[in-house]
Amino acid sequence: MAETKEITSSELKRIRDIIDAHSGQKWSLIPLLQQIQEEVGYIPPQSIEPIAHALELFPAQVQGVISFYTQLYTCPQGKKVVRVCRGTACHVRGGKTILKLVKQNLGIEEGQTTPDYEYTLETVACIGVCALAPNMVIGNTTYGHMNPKKVSLLFADRERGEEHD
Amino acid sequence: MEAITITLNGREVSGQAGMTVFELAREAGIQIPHLCHDRHLAPIGACRICIVEDERNGALLASCVTPIASGMIINTDSARVRERRRILIELMLASHPDSCMVCDKGNRCQLRSIAAEYGVGFIDLEKIPLPTRMEDVNPFIERDLSKCILCAKCIRADQELVVVGALDYFNRGFSSRPSTFGDLPLEKSECTFCGVCVAACPTGALTEKEKSYHGSASRTVQTICPYCGCGCSISLEIKNETVVRSLPDEESEVNGGTLCVRGSYGYDFIHSPDRLTTPLVRSDGELQPATWEDALSHISETLNRIKQSAGPDSIGALASSRCTNEENYLLQRFARSVLQTNNIDHISRLHNTWTLPSLSRAIGSLGTTQSLQELELADMILVMGADPCCSAPNVAYAIKRAVKRKGAQLVGIDPRRTGLYPFARLWLSPSSNSDLVLLNSIAQTIIEESLINREFVLRRTDNYEELVQALQQYTPQYAQEVTGVPAEDIRRTARLYAGASQPAIIYGSGITRYPNGQDMVLALANIAILTGNTGPKGGGIYPLQKDCNGQGAFDMGALPDFLPGCHSISDKKAKKLFEQLWGTPLPAQAGSSADRMFEQAQHGTLKALLIMGENPLLSFPDRKSITSALSNLELLVVQDIFLSETAATAHVVLPAAAFAEKEGTFTNFEGRVRKLNKAIEPPGQSLPDWQIVMRLAEAMQHPFPFTSLDQIGAEIEQVVPVYEYSSFPTQTEPGESDILECRRTHAEQFLSGFPRFFPVSYNLPPLHSQNGYTFTLITGSSLFRFGSGSRSSRASRLKKHSPQALVQIHPDDAGTRGIARGDRVRIYSPAGEIPAVAELTDAIARDTLFVPYSYPDCPVYSLFELENGKTAGLFNVCMVDIERTQDNG
Repeated sequence: MAETKEITSSELKRIRDIIDAHSGQKWSLIPLLQQIQEEVGYIPPQSIEPIAHALELFPAQVQGVISFYTQLYTCPQGKKVVRVCRGTACHVRGGKTILKLVKQNLGIEEGQTTPDYEYTLETVACIGVCALAPNMVIGNTTYGHMNPKKVSLLFADRERGEEHD
Repeated sequence: MEAITITLNGREVSGQAGMTVFELAREAGIQIPHLCHDRHLAPIGACRICIVEDERNGALLASCVTPIASGMIINTDSARVRERRRILIELMLASHPDSCMVCDKGNRCQLRSIAAEYGVGFIDLEKIPLPTRMEDVNPFIERDLSKCILCAKCIRADQELVVVGALDYFNRGFSSRPSTFGDLPLEKSECTFCGVCVAACPTGALTEKEKSYHGSASRTVQTICPYCGCGCSISLEIKNETVVRSLPDEESEVNGGTLCVRGSYGYDFIHSPDRLTTPLVRSDGELQPATWEDALSHISETLNRIKQSAGPDSIGALASSRCTNEENYLLQRFARSVLQTNNIDHISRLHNTWTLPSLSRAIGSLGTTQSLQELELADMILVMGADPCCSAPNVAYAIKRAVKRKGAQLVGIDPRRTGLYPFARLWLSPSSNSDLVLLNSIAQTIIEESLINREFVLRRTDNYEELVQALQQYTPQYAQEVTGVPAEDIRRTARLYAGASQPAIIYGSGITRYPNGQDMVLALANIAILTGNTGPKGGGIYPLQKDCNGQGAFDMGALPDFLPGCHSISDKKAKKLFEQLWGTPLPAQAGSSADRMFEQAQHGTLKALLIMGENPLLSFPDRKSITSALSNLELLVVQDIFLSETAATAHVVLPAAAFAEKEGTFTNFEGRVRKLNKAIEPPGQSLPDWQIVMRLAEAMQHPFPFTSLDQIGAEIEQVVPVYEYSSFPTQTEPGESDILECRRTHAEQFLSGFPRFFPVSYNLPPLHSQNGYTFTLITGSSLFRFGSGSRSSRASRLKKHSPQALVQIHPDDAGTRGIARGDRVRIYSPAGEIPAVAELTDAIARDTLFVPYSYPDCPVYSLFELENGKTAGLFNVCMVDIERTQDNG
């Protein structure tokens, strides 16, 4: 994991503005967290206490909500999140191999982010398009009928020098 | 409310709309097994063990979260329900370790007892162990989350009852667990180790950390916690005549399932090897063990001789706010009727209760106007000069619950940001000695902005015009200049208070220990009267008391100028009544207060002093003068459970029984009179203080006409009007709570029957640095110690967790003095010096230090000087300086 990325003061300022806009609104915790994540890509742990204070919650409660939802992150994510499906349909059509190839291409394991913060790799249980299995999703785009060739095409820009550096 | 009828196990039962099936079943006498339900916590239906079946549609419902609906046909124990419960238990046990044989929760484990009831032993499921994360660095709580069933009782107890917020769920699925913010160990989190989660935990995931394995207790005794003025009910678990655990009493109206760290883990001083077990008499300069007969005859001979030669007023007695009502009553009766002197006092009077008569003059109440439960209904709470998170945690819980659950607005007035700060809407920090200006300015704003309760003020109060006149100069602008508090904050406080429908005022020793403490109480009362919030309806006023029986010692007349029941000594009718009752003439002149007695001892006019359960060397200002005063005495008798600093200088020391070893009653700060029950025998030859006083009277040839505590209680009931209902039944009916509770009723005390305004003016000069002493030292309570610290520093776990006193200093001040966190420092004043360890925090203002007063190794009162021998109100601040002595090593 690459926690070394520091938040810039302008990011901090934007986080502060988002928090201030929701001050006193206990119900708005999740939209607030989503906004922060959209703004800076993740929810910096140091913002948990200010969030809790503004919404009159305990920091442990905010942390509980963040850790409950897989869509919320407390460490920096890549620009594109790659989600490889591990559902049953994808599994029988070779989803396991697809995952292995993606890992090789990106040079990271599940849950990790590439050092250049381009990609984060995750797996999902099912994305609901089993007819196209095996599937994967990059950002908001779904790619069906995956095969080794398609994987290398999708990550063509990373073929050399990026693996296991 | 609409009644709803349902069929419950074949029987028609009615309940009110909104009740849950679980509640209705309990009311109907049907027990439904459960693990996550607790009547003090909001139900969440996490464990599913309480499932029941609705015959109409076959639905299995978690009864604790299912509201009753008409026509329901519920079975709580059908074969199907039992089978499902079995499966649920098996699933829980499938991820539970097989360590029941050696688990400290033992027979107290609810999971084990339900499994046993349902015959679940061998689990035919694949075991998926939870990650083992044993945590036992702190001395109080052992956390083994591999035994957690995720019922969230600890989380809810933490957030809903004690409102600390240290815990919540972390992660989800198999890795889900209750955890702290940042997933840190408890001692690095917000946790206050109140132990409420441990008492609530149905499994061995949370257990009390114990020196050795105790297993199940052989019996349980309900009694009262001996520390602060809340007077929480505790259940002492006893095994082999040793108290092995202290748990909150679920049924108590005072603490309903909660306690603080002192109540849960502070009891084991009673088993300290330091306990006195035999009387000690000084001979050849050393305290030597003696028999009771020898000790008592030595005392009575000496007292008689002094009384003969120097008169009764050369003898004094100090009662204690840590002793029972009966003991305080007896000692004052001993002083007045046997010794024939009104030289009787108790030290916590000078901290708190000396201001109660002022409250009574203004609003006619000699204590809180309402109970703690009513405090929780307040929609605005003003806390002044009190740190209830440390001094009265149960009150802090109530305040925080009012804020979190009901949205009450909290305003704190304190030079220091206390544990309530994160919950406060506003926090005002007036500069030292300027509090009264702030209060007057709030009152002035209420008048100026026409926020008064007009009808109430004009028709039902006295002296309003005088108040308006006197307050004219106290504009928020003027107050800002004097106190440093922004004028706008003063106005906002006034508006918040006056705009609320039930605002409450809580104050503590942070104002009553000031020389003008009485004036400040009157100023607070003015604010309450202006808005018609003097109780019993609407908001109220809650003076906190320092000790478990501060209110009781006051009510019992352990006072130089008042007889029991707050009858003035000059009240001839009352005096006559007591003379008839006690069959002896009583002294007519008011006696000397504790501070005067020490002064007289120093001048040699007071020759003998009896001290019951007090330790003035640590709890009184100016240790040097007290030491010389005590050494001047011809006879110093100390009754105590330990050889305290004071007892070590005595001529005779009498061993007393601790709270768990005696019966009697305590009156908590709300005025509830509550009964102590004896859990174990006192060690060695020690005796309850009331029996010691009885023996003393006997030795003085004036035996009291009592043979039991009940008879003393009956006399108290007879002479103290507010204790009318307090005599405790000799036998409790089976099933009836052993704890006697009665709400002390307040007689109407004011002359006209109306609350009265008392204009009070600012009369304290601001503190300035003197002769190079540039820091204002504030003292106050601490969570992990209590009182003078003689009990709590012998409570092994409290001592281990908090071995030394921390001095709070602002980081900027620390920087200029070259002091870093954890450095050893020396704090000194013209009167003395004390060692401490530095804690850097911006919760305290610059040029100010805070040192708690409950650490015997750091006797903070030795820095204070008596000014002309007057101490009332001089406990709170003095000028000191600080320097580093040793690096944090």
